[in-house]
Amino acid sequence: MDQLLTEDQLDHFRTLAAEIPHPRELVVDVLRAIQNNHGWVPDEGVELAGTILGLSPLQVEEVATFFDKIYRRPVGRRVIHVCDSICCWSRGGEEVARLLQEKLGIGLGETTEDGIFTLLPTCCLGACGEAPAMMIGLTTYGHLTSDRIDLVLERERREAP
Amino acid sequence: MPTLTIDNKTVTVPEGANVLEAAKRLDIVIPHFCYHEALGSVGACRLCAMKFLEGPAKGIQMACMVEAKDGMVVSTQDEGAVDLRKHVIEWLMMNHPHDCPVCDEGGECQLQDMTVAGGHGIRRYGGLKRTYNNQFLGPFVYHEMNRCIQCYRCVRTYQDYCGGTDFGVLGCNQRIYFGRFRDGPLESVFSGNIVDACPTGVFTDKTFRFHSRYWDLEEASSVCPHCSLGCATIPGARYRELQRVRGGVNKETNGFFICDRGRFGYGYANHPDRPRIPRIGDREVSWDDSLEEARGRLADIAHRHGPAAIALLGSPRASLEANYRLLTLAHHLETDRIAFEAHPERDRTARVVAALSDKNSRSLEEIRNSDFLLLVGADPLNEAPMMALAVRQAVRRGAGAALIDPRPVGLPFHAVHLPLAAGRLSEFLQAVCAGTFENFSRQERTILEGIAERLRRAQRPILIGGGDLLGAAGVRDLLRTSEKLSKEDRPCGAALILGGPNSYGAALLSGETSDFNGILDGISEGRIRALVCLESDPFTDHPDLSRSRSALAKLDLLIALDCVPTTTAEKANIFLPVKAPAESAGVYVNNEGRMLAFASVFDPGTPIRVTGGGDHPPRVFEPGTPRNPPMSAWSVLGALQNRRESLNSLRREMEGEHARLAGLASLDPETDGRRVLPGGGRFEIPEIPAIPTEEKAFDLISIQSLFGSETLSAFSPVLDPVRPVPRFLMHSADAAEIGLAAGETLRVTTDRGGFELPVALSEVMARGCLFIAHLKGSPVDLPFPGVRFAARVDRRKES
Amino acid sequence: MKSDQLLFKNRRPGETTFLKGYLETGGYEGLKKAFTMDPAQVREIVKASRLRGRGGAGFPTGMKWSFFPADKPGEKYLVCNADEMEPGTYKDRELLLADPHQLVEGMIISAYALQAPTGYIFIRYAYERCARNLERAIIEAREAGFLGKNIRGSGFSCELFVHRSAGRYICGEETALLNALEGRRANPRSKPPFPAVRGLFDKPTTVNNVETLASIQHIITGGAAWFKDLAATVEGAGTKLYGLSGHLEKTECHELPIGVPLRTLVEEFGGGVWKGRRFKACLPGGASTPYLTAEHLDVSMDFEPLEKVGSRLGTAGVTVFDDTTCMVEATLNLNRFFARESCGWCTPCRDGLPFVNWILEKIERGDGVMEDIDMLRDQLRNITGTTFCALAQGAVGPIESLLRLFEEEVVDHIKRGRCPFNP
Ligand SMILES: Cc1cc2nc3c(=O)[nH]c(=O)nc-3n(C[C@H](O)[C@H](O)[C@H](O)COP(=O)(O)O)c2cc1C
Ligand code: SF4
Ligand code: FES
Repeated sequence: MDQLLTEDQLDHFRTLAAEIPHPRELVVDVLRAIQNNHGWVPDEGVELAGTILGLSPLQVEEVATFFDKIYRRPVGRRVIHVCDSICCWSRGGEEVARLLQEKLGIGLGETTEDGIFTLLPTCCLGACGEAPAMMIGLTTYGHLTSDRIDLVLERERREAP
Repeated sequence: MPTLTIDNKTVTVPEGANVLEAAKRLDIVIPHFCYHEALGSVGACRLCAMKFLEGPAKGIQMACMVEAKDGMVVSTQDEGAVDLRKHVIEWLMMNHPHDCPVCDEGGECQLQDMTVAGGHGIRRYGGLKRTYNNQFLGPFVYHEMNRCIQCYRCVRTYQDYCGGTDFGVLGCNQRIYFGRFRDGPLESVFSGNIVDACPTGVFTDKTFRFHSRYWDLEEASSVCPHCSLGCATIPGARYRELQRVRGGVNKETNGFFICDRGRFGYGYANHPDRPRIPRIGDREVSWDDSLEEARGRLADIAHRHGPAAIALLGSPRASLEANYRLLTLAHHLETDRIAFEAHPERDRTARVVAALSDKNSRSLEEIRNSDFLLLVGADPLNEAPMMALAVRQAVRRGAGAALIDPRPVGLPFHAVHLPLAAGRLSEFLQAVCAGTFENFSRQERTILEGIAERLRRAQRPILIGGGDLLGAAGVRDLLRTSEKLSKEDRPCGAALILGGPNSYGAALLSGETSDFNGILDGISEGRIRALVCLESDPFTDHPDLSRSRSALAKLDLLIALDCVPTTTAEKANIFLPVKAPAESAGVYVNNEGRMLAFASVFDPGTPIRVTGGGDHPPRVFEPGTPRNPPMSAWSVLGALQNRRESLNSLRREMEGEHARLAGLASLDPETDGRRVLPGGGRFEIPEIPAIPTEEKAFDLISIQSLFGSETLSAFSPVLDPVRPVPRFLMHSADAAEIGLAAGETLRVTTDRGGFELPVALSEVMARGCLFIAHLKGSPVDLPFPGVRFAARVDRRKES
Repeated sequence: MKSDQLLFKNRRPGETTFLKGYLETGGYEGLKKAFTMDPAQVREIVKASRLRGRGGAGFPTGMKWSFFPADKPGEKYLVCNADEMEPGTYKDRELLLADPHQLVEGMIISAYALQAPTGYIFIRYAYERCARNLERAIIEAREAGFLGKNIRGSGFSCELFVHRSAGRYICGEETALLNALEGRRANPRSKPPFPAVRGLFDKPTTVNNVETLASIQHIITGGAAWFKDLAATVEGAGTKLYGLSGHLEKTECHELPIGVPLRTLVEEFGGGVWKGRRFKACLPGGASTPYLTAEHLDVSMDFEPLEKVGSRLGTAGVTVFDDTTCMVEATLNLNRFFARESCGWCTPCRDGLPFVNWILEKIERGDGVMEDIDMLRDQLRNITGTTFCALAQGAVGPIESLLRLFEEEVVDHIKRGRCPFNP
């Protein structure tokens, strides 16, 4: 298993938590850092965040489960968020979601067998001008067509760790 | 004070009250789920909708979220408001299972009531219901998440009010989940309150599940018998069995909530070994025979050795009435050998409090409204749990809190903690009085001066003391300090934790009589031949067990009255079974000096669960009730004096005899109780022998443990899983000096014998101390709380 | 139509302007000028400019600031709302991708005006590039002496922090945002007390939108009168970022005067409805604004005129639907969004929106009955104005207008037993 947080990150968060009056404000930062290293936040990650910030695991979990971009279950190395909100919908978002499922051979909420891609629907990505759009990791891709989806998937697959 | 009109009725309410509370004053019921008097308004359920016609708020608004203002005109009957309330129910019923017929909450479910009252009868929503997995939450609380209506009351109770951090709210949107990070027992000792707080059947009392329907229960207002605070409770019984306890409402004491000992400690009343039939020796007899025997043998002893050969021992867990009747029994027998507490130091402490605490005595409600609290030698979570929550509420409102205590005390609020040695607590209080801290180290001085400064500046400061650690002298010093710190316009209050639910009341009756050590001496020396024990167990409750046991063995006659199978009950020559608190009416005087009346919930008798051979419901019904069921202790004691009386006439007599008990006869269990009149008294504390100090000796102190030290709850089997195991508590640095690691066995020798137990370590405690929790029924004879002695320690050699 | 470019003046396709380019076009002049005034003067000018909040509610910024205890000592916070998660809204993203210093300068001046030396920028998960741009701009500003201790000898110190979120539209609601910033569940807080009294960490706080704050330096540089004059309506003030989306030929974001006619946006800047089709409807200001139809095309894109025709300016993200669009399905899509993004605090939103979903799904599927329309209406009536925060308020906008403007289409679904657009 990957390290949840590197020594440097641990150091950074611990120091910061000791310095600031409300360490709790770092909870999303710590969870995101863990997710960035590990792909998702396992139970140990929630506990680790709690230890660093002086919170119980439950108090971290309360926040972690509120947000939809904190993954509390295993995901593939690349998470595809396909936009299902109104602008993308109006320009073929449903077709994009269908194409993605077909090309990856998985349904929404599922992970490809090779463990590379997880496909999740998401609300508006702020890419309404480039609809239909999706986000892979932290990169947004707009103006999606079947060909462009192939290109993007190919590139992301190549670059996936 | 704003005056407003609700449904054409006018009401004036205190500044800051909301409209829902205003309506309540008019007896107008506004349906609500998320509002709770103790938890406040959060506007989540949207059920308390009303139409605001005049005033600053307009239109349909939530009554709980709108502050009452002068001139408001409000309608609860407005068509739009009624319609909204109906829709709120419809929405809440979208996912709620229609399992009322089999639901444990059935009959006392607010959702059920609101659904009927709101007129939602036909299901229009045809979508799928969202379902959840439940969690295992430990031995007390059962989880059934599908019934949740997201009023957030449980988490507001558990986290906000009680300070628990292991239970909360997860998820988002329509997929909100109330639970723990993982399956496992709820960690808070106030966990059971979520059962009361939940308006539906998500959290139910596991110990009560499948026993009875709510409407089949016999219930009455009662008072918790497990510590000195006197929290209001509502026990429920059926089939001659006490089946559950829920929190009652007393604004001056507990407010709304109770601790898990008060809620789940009720098993003593149904204990399979509970002695329920009068006994002479080993022989079960009738009431008449037993009373006849008792009267005869007492008369015989008086005749042969003089009346002073008879002694009596009352109890802080017996009602005020019973203790009083014990006192008149002493008069009747013409003896003055009477004590009301087997533990002489606890006795002295309670007497100091009963005599000296006066207008500076503070209720839990006053603690909740205090702005600075100084706890001295107090571990409220173990000694008086709801006091910890009272302080927590004050701290949540911005009060400061500080703790001077040698133990590593856990608290559900933030407090500055200075672990001062037990022997220095009085010194500290005297220093606060004097205002200088010269005898303290520089580091200590900085903290203490800070505390003293906050005490001076606070408007409603309160000193909280633990009777066991402070002892009589320390308690006296605390009361003096509170007096000294009081100014005309700014009193400094005091609140003390005592040993039992009626310690104060028993002490109040004690007057200047000698203590139980005097009685033990009399027995040892052969002057005293007979002892009558009322709901007390000197075989285990005396601090020096070898002393008490060897003395008691010399008695010619031991008469015991009790409702639990104690050693004393077992060894008694004559045993007289008495009613458990929930079976009788009575009064306790709590730590504040507040008389609290409790009503009788049910008649005693062997539970059907026992007579039915464990079948539930039983297949064979037998009357089962013995010919001679337990009687109220006061009436047994009255019978020994040939009295036949009602509780009322007894109370009137007591009022006449004791000026401080004014109002006793008219005390109503439905009220918040009534303070006894000030003692105005003096109480000379008898010289206390100093603890012999030895070079290099440790100060071994016995302390209380929530689920282990108290007598009645010790007989409650459902608490077994949460009872601690015996161990020593030691400072890590002290342990390091003798090369001891956590979990290793420590050997301790004292002049009262030795112990070998594993050790737990802490860094936030005084050096040179050793703590051991008193655990009733533990195989090790652990000393009673409040006892200190010199101890030599060493690491046990591994063989 | 041409217009003054304030916020977008440094915008070039595919590029981000950082400090060098920003300074070349007069960057940080507003800041220098602001430091020659005292904070109350800055607040006066903002008030006089009649700037209204660009985050969706349109509350006058000057008035909001006047509730803030700027002159009282103690900790105070300025928070920038860069959550921008309302479907159809992407203007803040465009701005932060193009020219992050616009926000940084605006925030420093606002922090000075409000005497709130600590600023947080709360930015949504999907805007990672914007967040990085901001972080770089903050470092540049600090190095150039526009940020940090005792800025340019003014005696005023200011620090800005970027806080990345992890999803959820409700975080954009200002009090929910404060909870999120504190590391708590993002449920809205009750008001009063308002954030100006008790906000972040219980201290006085002002929350403003990215575009609002970025406008401040232009108001200071150009003056209140000039700013007001930028608008195309008499009552309006300033320019506005309009994000175009949906069934248009060109779906881009433009800076234009407040009050431009909707028609200009659709026909000129949007290049007309795509594929040569006809205009059927649009959301004029994001997913939470009621629909407009072709008869409203001449409305001015300003607060009052839009309210007069039954909608709102919102975030001015215009989403257009052509005549092949099923409005029931579009509304269902919108409502699903709101139901999913409900925080789960109050009943009408948490459970009412899923109830509405169920009705709309049923109608769209062809299983609807006429009574469903009444049921939809009674659901709406009881969700409107009864919730804890404004999220559900936004959700009912499109549904209410669906029943008002497209009832026939709904009835058609029920009568045919299928969606007329989905053979
Ligand atoms: C559900 C909801 C979501 C919101 N989302 C945003 C948002 O993403 N960005 C924003 O600036 N304002 C948003 N707002 C408005 C804010 O609550 C607030 O009014 C605004 O940030 C104030 O800034 P302004 O006065 O500069 O417009 C939202 C409001 C609601 C009720
Ligand atoms: S309307 Fe209610 S449930 Fe919905 S987001 Fe606001 S507070 Fe949360
Ligand atoms: S609707 Fe998909 S990016 Fe906005």
